[in-house]
Amino acid sequence: MIFNTTTFHILSNPRHLKRSILLGLKSLWMRKLRSLLTALGIVFGVSSVIAMLSIGEGASHEAQLQIKQLGSQNVIIRSVKPSDSSATEAAATVIAEYGLTVRDLDQIRDTVPGISIVVPARASRAFAWRYARNAECDVLGTVPWFPSMRNIKVTNGRFFSDVEMRNRVNVCVLSESAARQLFPLESPVGKTVRLENTYFRVIGITADNPQISADSDIGNNSASDSDSPDENFQMLIPLSTMLERFGEIVFERSAGGYTWEKVELHEVVVKCEDPEAVVANANAIRHILNRNHKTPDYEIIVPIELLRQAERTKQIFNIVLGSIAAISLIVGGIGIMNIMLANVTERTREIGVRRALGAKRADIIFQFLVETVILSGAGGIIGVALGLAIPLLVSQLAGMTTIVGIGAPLLAFTISVLTGIIFGIYPAKRAADLNPVEALRHE
Amino acid sequence: MKKETPIISLQNVRKRYRMGDAIVNALDGITLDIMPGEYVAIMGASGCGKSTLLNLLGCLDQPTEGDYLLGGQNVSHLEDDLLSKTRGKKLGFIFQSYNLIQQLTVLENIEVPLYYQGLPPHESREIAVRLATQVGLGKRLDHRPNELSGGQQQRVAIARSLANDPIVILADEATGNLDSKSGEEILGIFEELNRLGKTLIFVTHDPAMANRVSRVIRLHDGQVVEDRPGGLKHKTASPNPTPAPAPAEAIPNS
Repeated sequence: MIFNTTTFHILSNPRHLKRSILLGLKSLWMRKLRSLLTALGIVFGVSSVIAMLSIGEGASHEAQLQIKQLGSQNVIIRSVKPSDSSATEAAATVIAEYGLTVRDLDQIRDTVPGISIVVPARASRAFAWRYARNAECDVLGTVPWFPSMRNIKVTNGRFFSDVEMRNRVNVCVLSESAARQLFPLESPVGKTVRLENTYFRVIGITADNPQISADSDIGNNSASDSDSPDENFQMLIPLSTMLERFGEIVFERSAGGYTWEKVELHEVVVKCEDPEAVVANANAIRHILNRNHKTPDYEIIVPIELLRQAERTKQIFNIVLGSIAAISLIVGGIGIMNIMLANVTERTREIGVRRALGAKRADIIFQFLVETVILSGAGGIIGVALGLAIPLLVSQLAGMTTIVGIGAPLLAFTISVLTGIIFGIYPAKRAADLNPVEALRHE
Repeated sequence: MKKETPIISLQNVRKRYRMGDAIVNALDGITLDIMPGEYVAIMGASGCGKSTLLNLLGCLDQPTEGDYLLGGQNVSHLEDDLLSKTRGKKLGFIFQSYNLIQQLTVLENIEVPLYYQGLPPHESREIAVRLATQVGLGKRLDHRPNELSGGQQQRVAIARSLANDPIVILADEATGNLDSKSGEEILGIFEELNRLGKTLIFVTHDPAMANRVSRVIRLHDGQVVEDRPGGLKHKTASPNPTPAPAPAEAIPNS
């Protein structure tokens, strides 16, 4: 029996506890380097768990946020420049024709049931001018209900209306960063910006929306990555206006020279009324497009699938992380056990003396357990501190989002202390089971 | 002389060990009584069983056969925790190699037995300061054992053995590691303690000790072969079986 009433008596008496802790600290202090090295095992275990958890949590949070921004009921279809059209790059003046067409759109609307809204969008890259200031924007021709479908917030002014859409009015909505770039000192709403030789009236500002990734950016499909614009400059104009003012041919700069591309629609967002039907509808759409397009010049993004995938990834990540954490803490625990066994051997005589002077088995067990718990607890505290510092450093230096919950440090610390207790029991019991006579004779 | 109850009473005590295939009779039927206030030397060549006897007397070990009454209580078959309790309450130990705990100061070392008795810190601190002062270490209360000479360390050990006010003090070759001058000092303290009524049992192989104690018990092959009065003549302070005096009275203020 390891824990009898005496142990509880000791535990319930704070005076004893305080003295035991002081004694433990003294004993550990006598072997400073050894104690430090032992605690380091726990320090690294705990801090890596916290750091990895918070970085992983941050990454998955960011991914989920981006996916949610696309809308969980949406199916997004994008035009993609076919990969086998490398010939167009060599011949710089050939017009590449690819992508979604209005015909596709009509078919989808007619065949797939339960679709509420379809947002066609066209994109191109162009310089927007405000007197001498300019910003290279993604110019997006779209429909008035675009913000509500893509969860984009209009922070200032308003989005364009059906009337403006119908009448092909020259109005635009700027993303926040683009607005800042073009109008550093004044409120942009009501002012005009120039796009090539057309003037647009700014009617609203939207919050910057995070990009899914640089490559899948709307309008950035065919552009080379090297000249991707600063940040997230976006200019939204009515689709009708865009078709009228800029036509169907988009002019792109690319590494070898210039490319003209003919793309009717760059992006279509299909919103399904029934959230359960999203995947089925996506398959139907895929089927239709498959029939219409010989080359795969489109991609279908199903945010809900991505979201599920992200959740699965996170789950796997958590399992891997959990295993790493468990392994590192077991290693730390074995380190503690090893050192405590060495301590017991080294202090055999002290144990004998204490037994001769009236210490019960439980007293000896308690003394050694207190030492291991101090070791693992101190390791845990330092580990938590380090584990909280690392994500901070990572987000400062690498610009990654990290999320530190209260749960991870608490859990890691608790486990480290438990590790100390579990791996401390055996050495402590061994110390207590020493025969006092032999312990006293020990050299 | 009035009939006294012995403080230690061994009745036909045997201790057998198994060493490989052979069975060794370390103690082979020992019967003896030790009265309060006696200063006993247990002597004999090495291997005669005196260490085994000391371990039994110190409740660190238990007899295979026979009974051991300590202060009237039969302790020969007590369970481990009660043995610990008995050691902590009734016995004081002094070892050849002092056996102080290195990470503790002089005061803290003296406090160890009191700690296991559950005495409140301020009380045990008081006792420890008094005892340390009495053994002449009043200026070294916060020193560590490795900062003290052998004689000083042994004086700390004596103070420690007195802390719980034991009924018997067991000394195992207590002067064996000391130079003659320090040894003499320690023996002086023992004599003084005995003069004040403490019961002392001194295990030694040094024949000269016979003249410094009040009773000599010689062992050979696990049996008592000689039991005679020793050369020490002084009037013990308490001839009657009053309880052992408190440590405060045990040693005069030095």
